[in-house]
Order: sequence, then C-alpha cells, then structure tokens
Amino acid sequence: MGNDQPTDLVARMQGQRLNRRRLVQGAGALGLAVPALGASLRGQPAFAQDAPAVGQLVTVSEQQRSTWLRNFNPFTTDNLWPTGNGVHEPLGVFNLLTGEIVPWLATEWSFSPDNLVLTAKIRDGVMWSDGQPMTARDVAFTFNLFKPENNSGLLGAFMWDYLASVEASDDRTAVFTFGRVFTLGLYDVMGQNIVPEHVWSQVPNPLEHTNENPVATGPFTEIPVFNNQYWELHRNPTYWQEGKPQIQGLRFPAYPGNDQMLFATTNGENDWAGNFIPDIENTYVARDPEHHHYWFPATGDTVMLYLNTTVAPFNDPNVRKAISLGINRDQICAVAMYDYTHPADGTGLSDAFEDWKSPEAVAAGDWVTQDVDRANQMLDAAGLTRDGDVRKLPDGTEMSYDLNVVAGWTDWVSACQIISQDLEALGIRARVQGYEQPAWQERVQTGDFTMSIGWSTGGATPFGYYRGQMSTQRFKAIGESADENWHRYTNPQADELLDQFAATSDEAQQRQIAAQLQMIFAENAPAIPLFPGPQWGEFSTKRFTGFPSEENPYALLSTYAPTRLLVMMELKPVAAQ
Amino acid sequence: MRYILRRLGFYAVAAWASLTLNFFLPRMMPGDPESVIFARFRGQLRPEEVEALREAYGLSDDPIFLQYFTYLTHVLRGDFGLSISAFPAPVTDVIATGLRWTLLLGGVSLVLGFVVGNALGVLGTWRRGSLLDSTLPPLLIFIGSFPYFWLATLALYLLSFELGWFPLRHAYSDRLSPSYSLDFVQSVLIHLILPAGTVVLVSIGGWLLGMRNTMIATLAEDYITFAEAKGLSQRRIMFSYAARNALLPNITAFGMALGFVLGGALLTEVVFSYPGLGYQLLTAVRNLDYPLMQGLFLMITFAVLGANLIVDLLYVRLDPRVRGS
Repeated sequence: MGNDQPTDLVARMQGQRLNRRRLVQGAGALGLAVPALGASLRGQPAFAQDAPAVGQLVTVSEQQRSTWLRNFNPFTTDNLWPTGNGVHEPLGVFNLLTGEIVPWLATEWSFSPDNLVLTAKIRDGVMWSDGQPMTARDVAFTFNLFKPENNSGLLGAFMWDYLASVEASDDRTAVFTFGRVFTLGLYDVMGQNIVPEHVWSQVPNPLEHTNENPVATGPFTEIPVFNNQYWELHRNPTYWQEGKPQIQGLRFPAYPGNDQMLFATTNGENDWAGNFIPDIENTYVARDPEHHHYWFPATGDTVMLYLNTTVAPFNDPNVRKAISLGINRDQICAVAMYDYTHPADGTGLSDAFEDWKSPEAVAAGDWVTQDVDRANQMLDAAGLTRDGDVRKLPDGTEMSYDLNVVAGWTDWVSACQIISQDLEALGIRARVQGYEQPAWQERVQTGDFTMSIGWSTGGATPFGYYRGQMSTQRFKAIGESADENWHRYTNPQADELLDQFAATSDEAQQRQIAAQLQMIFAENAPAIPLFPGPQWGEFSTKRFTGFPSEENPYALLSTYAPTRLLVMMELKPVAAQ
Repeated sequence: MRYILRRLGFYAVAAWASLTLNFFLPRMMPGDPESVIFARFRGQLRPEEVEALREAYGLSDDPIFLQYFTYLTHVLRGDFGLSISAFPAPVTDVIATGLRWTLLLGGVSLVLGFVVGNALGVLGTWRRGSLLDSTLPPLLIFIGSFPYFWLATLALYLLSFELGWFPLRHAYSDRLSPSYSLDFVQSVLIHLILPAGTVVLVSIGGWLLGMRNTMIATLAEDYITFAEAKGLSQRRIMFSYAARNALLPNITAFGMALGFVLGGALLTEVVFSYPGLGYQLLTAVRNLDYPLMQGLFLMITFAVLGANLIVDLLYVRLDPRVRGS
C-alpha cells in the first residue's frame, strides 16, 4: 500500500452502503485501523462526554454521512434511515426469510379471480402521530400522489405501469385495479409506505419536500434532537401496537467513513449495524464474545460473472459453461469473501429461494464446480484451438479480454484476480481492469464490455432474478443503457414463462413455472453465477436484546431490509428483562 | 491604481473561466448520476425505479450550450439547484451543514501553522547553526513527510481510543446543541485539538523551510549589512528589515492556502469524523452530483480568487516596488 494510502482512502470513502462493505476490506489491507482494533482494549476509555446513554436509545450505524440533512420524505432516495419502515409504515412487511408478507397497515388482501383487482382491508384504530385516524383514503391518496400524471419523479411511480386506479371504497377498504395482469405487483403495493392525506395534500411540490417533522404511523416519529452530526428518533407516543416499541428510541451519530464506523462498532458503541467487517470473529466477536454477535445469511443478490453474449464465442452456451467450469468458487468464497458465503449453484438463486429450487435444475447446472479437464474439452469442441498458452478463435484472434471490475471494491477485485488465474489454465487471458464505479457501470449498461463481474436483481420471488437474466422486456441493444440484462441474453421460452408467472396468483403454479425457468437457466448459462451475496448485520446485546440471529431468524438483521420494522418491535433494554 | 484595475480585470476573466470549467468538467465524467444512486440503493430499489430517479433529478436533455446558459443565469441569481446525492436538499443547505466547521478547522490550523512555522523560521535563521536551526527543520520535514492519514489515525488511536484524552469523533459533543454557551465553546475547542493539531504539525515544516530559504537570501542583502552598520537593534533588523522582506513569498502561499481552506481538509475530516466540505466534495464527485460539485467548486475558486486579490492588495502595502510600476 505504502504511498497509495490517500488514494486508497479516497476509494473507500463513499457515503454509501453498497460500497461500504467492500471498501472496508481496504482498511484491512491498509494494515492499520483494523489490526489496531483487533488489539485488546483496556477498559474502553471512551471520552466520557460522548459515551452513549446506556439503556435508553439504540445506537444504529446505517447511513454513512459526514453531516446529517433533515429529510423524511419517503418518496426520495436520500431520506434519513428509517424514514420508510420505521417512521412511515407499509401496508405489509415482506419477510424474505419466510417468503411471506406480514400484515401491517393492511390486515388482509386478496386478488379477484381474474387477478385484475386487489382488495385490501385497512387496519382499524391506527392513528397518525398528530392524532388523526389513518384510513383507506390515505392509502388511495398515497398511491395517487406518486402517479406520474400527478407528480413526476417520486419513487413508486413505476407501479403505475400496471396499476390503472387506486381508490378507497370505504374507510377500511382500498381497491387496486390493475391495467394488466401482474400479480407480482402485490409485493410492490404492499411494500408501499403510506403518508397522511391531510398533511401531504397541502404540500405544493412533494418531490422537493423534505418533510422535516413527519406525521406518520410508525413506531418512531419524534425528533427531539437534530444537529449536523447527531440526531435522535424517539418513539411515537400514540403507536397503534400496544406496548410497542419497547425502547425509547434510536440515536444516530454521523460516521463519514468505514474506519470510523468500524471503530464504533467494534468498540461496542453501536448496538445495531449493517457493516461489512473483515475477519469478523477476530475483529468484532473476540472483542466481547458474550455480547458481540453477527449474522450474515447468504440471502442477498447473487454476484455474477457476465459475458457479453453478443460477442463470439460467448454466444455459445458451451463456451460460457466451460468458462464457469474453469472457476474455483471455493477459493473465491474463502479468499475474497472470508468464507462468509458459499458457491452458487447452477440456478443462480440465492439462499432466500432455497425452497423454490428445483433439484432437477440444480443437477442440470453441473457447470458450477471446477473441472478444468472438462472445460478444456468443451472449449476444444467449440473450435477454440489452443496455440501455445492461448486459445484462438476460428478467425485466428487470440482469446484475450479485459475483465471489468469496480476499482476499490476489494472483494470483487480479489474474486476477479482468482478468475483471471483460473482462466489462464483454460488458455483464456482475462486481464483484470478496474474502473471507477460510474465508468464501470456505464460500460456494463451500454454493453461496452466482454467480461465483467456484476450484481444481479433480487426480489420477493425468483421472478425478478430471471427477468433480469433472460427476458426480452429488460433487453436493450448494445449502445443503449440497460438497467439489467447487461449480458444481453434473451430466450423466448423464458419470456413466455415469465409472463405466465406474473399472470397467476397461485403460488403452487408459480413454483412450477420457477422450476422451468431454473431449468432454462441451468441449460443455457446466460450468465455465470459466482456466489450469493451475504447480508451484513451485527449487534451487541450489552444494552439491548431481541435482535434476530441464526438461532432466531424471525427477520433479517440487515438494517436496510424491510423487516427492520419487525426488529424494531422486538428490541428491548437489557434491564427490562 | 492601474495595477489594481489590471488585477481586477484579470480576476473577472478568471471567474468566468472557472464558472465555465465548473459546468463542463463534471459532465465529462463517465456515467450518469441516476445509475450511480441506484447502485447505492441496490437491493432496496427496483431496477424500474431508475426512471423515476432520472425524472426527479431533472437532468435535462436540452443541448449542452442551452444548459450552460441556464446554468449561468441561475448562478448569477444565486440559485445552485438541488443536490443529487442528498436529494432533495438544496445545494446551499448541504454546504451550510459543513461550511462553518471547515472554516473553523481550516482557518485555525492554517493561521497557527503559518504563525508558528514562520516564527520558528525567522528565529532559527537568525541564529544559524544553533540547536534550534539544526534540529527543527529536518525534524519537522520528517514529520511532514509521513502520510497524513497514517499520522492522524495513529494520533486518534493512541490519544483518543486507547488513552481517552480526546474525543473520538465530531466537532462537538453529541449531547450539546450548537449555542454560544460556555459548555458548547469548550466542547468545540476540545474537539478541535487533535484535528487542528495534526494539520499544524505536518504543515509547520513547509512554512518554516520557505521562511528559512528566503530569510537566508535576505540576510545576505546589503541593506541588512547597512542596518547593522547603522547600529539598529538586533530585534528591529530581524523583524522590520529581514523578516518583513522574507515574508513576501510566504504571504502569497498563505493567500493560496486561505482560498483552499474552503476545499476542506478531506483526510482530517474523515479520520476525526469532523463535519466539513471536503467530504461533501468527495461524495459529490463520487455520485456525479453535478449541482453540488458546481456549488462547491465555485465557492472554492471564488475563495481562491478572493484570497489572491487580497494578497495582491496587501502587496501594494508591503512591497513598494509594486506601487511604483
């Protein structure tokens, strides 16, 4: 590292969740902060003035910012955590671990037989924090607020692609009429956070409204302290759930970078965090084995190796499978990912969809375990002849490519380095080429790449993943910017199955269709799954208990998962037990 | 007077040039803001939501020159638009959360570093070969050449984390709200010691060396010999004859540094979790937040130009040769 430190630091300093975990690994390489933290701490002499108030407020480390800006607008991206599913509440909370929607502001819901009308019963007795009752009219108002005809640019607008109207037939019933059948819209609709009509109808421009004093239904609505580096969110005195929340509130010190966040988390100052921490057993758990816990379930989006399928020879599924066979995923998981996850299977689905997986498809995806001999045979059979160390295409060009990666995302970089070595054995040169994130993203989006590591889409069901991997709907020609399907793969059979999937609200039928989609993926290898991404979460039971864990997986521990609302209900001070 | 007018003309052209660069340079970076922001919220936002982001940020499809003129007229009205990385906060609000802390940290450490560095330079050179002169410059240069990030993290780890003498983070205690109370001022000062102290420590060497170099040259001048021959006091020769003349190059450097204070001390802010503009600038660049970048760059360039203007005017006072020409 040496003199690279300042640049490396710059690479690690985005105020962003996405990069935080990757970037933190840089701190390990930096050789100072993390080993220093690993050293035993004697008595934790935190500066007395700043020590957290024990047993009062839960300290959460979620957003990375040097200063706080007061924004509780649930229709914008950069609002303060937890504006959604915390201050405001959704109709239902989708729990990825159970695959079910927990009734919240809506108590029950059902589709009409033709799946074109969704009717939801709205909970009785819920009050806005200003004392007014919450009704189905607020629900209808919220959805019409972000309707593109009424206001542009608000999050949620995409739902109006399939919604035709949202109305309240009475105070307790919200009716969602669909313009076309799209049963998966249920997850979007139920996940929408609701705002009060009597407040937001007075807002002239909802897009630019910072909603500094939110009127909401959530467990935490009061903001007694708000300074540029620190703020507190206290409980809603009129919360509709009896006896909840059991804690007084949450507190948020601003941490601008990973090292500061890590300092505070390993030091036991943060009660609940969603940080990537390298070598966590030694750097975090060992600091206080009794209280420090973590849970990294591999339920996040699968990290993929994308090959541009418009470029020969990567239009040949056998070549894609051969490349996949050359990769040592165990090594990637052990070295690049600290064994926090495991190799993906040939369906590419993460652990969140374990019970969706078809054993036949998993067996058909036999191209994910390293087998160099078989890979070489397949490449030979594809007419890619080896000339010395490097294979050549039939037209004589060498198989020598750039493997694109985001510079500074050290887990990805290290995974790419392993892939590059592995492909060398197959006679394919893959030079690891790091780009700044925007530049990397522009390349994958416009299809200006041959090989690139990248993320995939998750969601409530396997639908999102397979649509992102194989659907014509999400396909864009080379040169046009694609949000998904960067590898440019389409499959008419998959299109048909995806349409069927979205047309039925019968889960048994959806599972059957998903099995067929998995089979298509396993047979065609549109892209190469590497490993399912872990979802980071740490907690300390020194002051509070009730966090979800591997032993008690009632919700995800990740602070950004919608189930944070379920976690907030369960947290309680240690003394109160 | 003609000198001053000429300088003013120069500043007007420089201001226009920086406004223009300010607009075009960020837009030449690859990528687009909505994709970058989407990536940040990956796992929480649906890919379909990118469209909404595009509309929210109001990124125009107008021809770039039309956009440029809109930008110029908006800037003249003092309208910098809404930040993208902290949407929908206005750029001015984003800057306001860090501005005064950057000014405090940057100002205090710059002035302290300048005063102490130059004073040591003058004293050391006046007694050339003394213990002060032979040990201090190499020692300070040695310290100054450490990577600052390393030095600051070490200070934070040892003095705050292990020993608990100083706070671990922030510009004032989390338990206080900004006010003019004694408690608050005290808290601000305690929180300022480490961040400012480390900056001063690494910057003293530069000032000292600059002063020492010009001081040596100045001491060889005839007018110093003449002043000594006149029998003036050592003190008077040291400060009014030697130091005053030797100070000129460092004044220019001070002016430059003063302007750059607004750029924020990025590494200091990050290590000590100090609120400031440096980190905001980094976030803006990383997120392709054009409006925030424009606002910050504009402020920095105008501060640099302003500081230089002041230095130019100061020269008229300090250096009679400028007045003559």
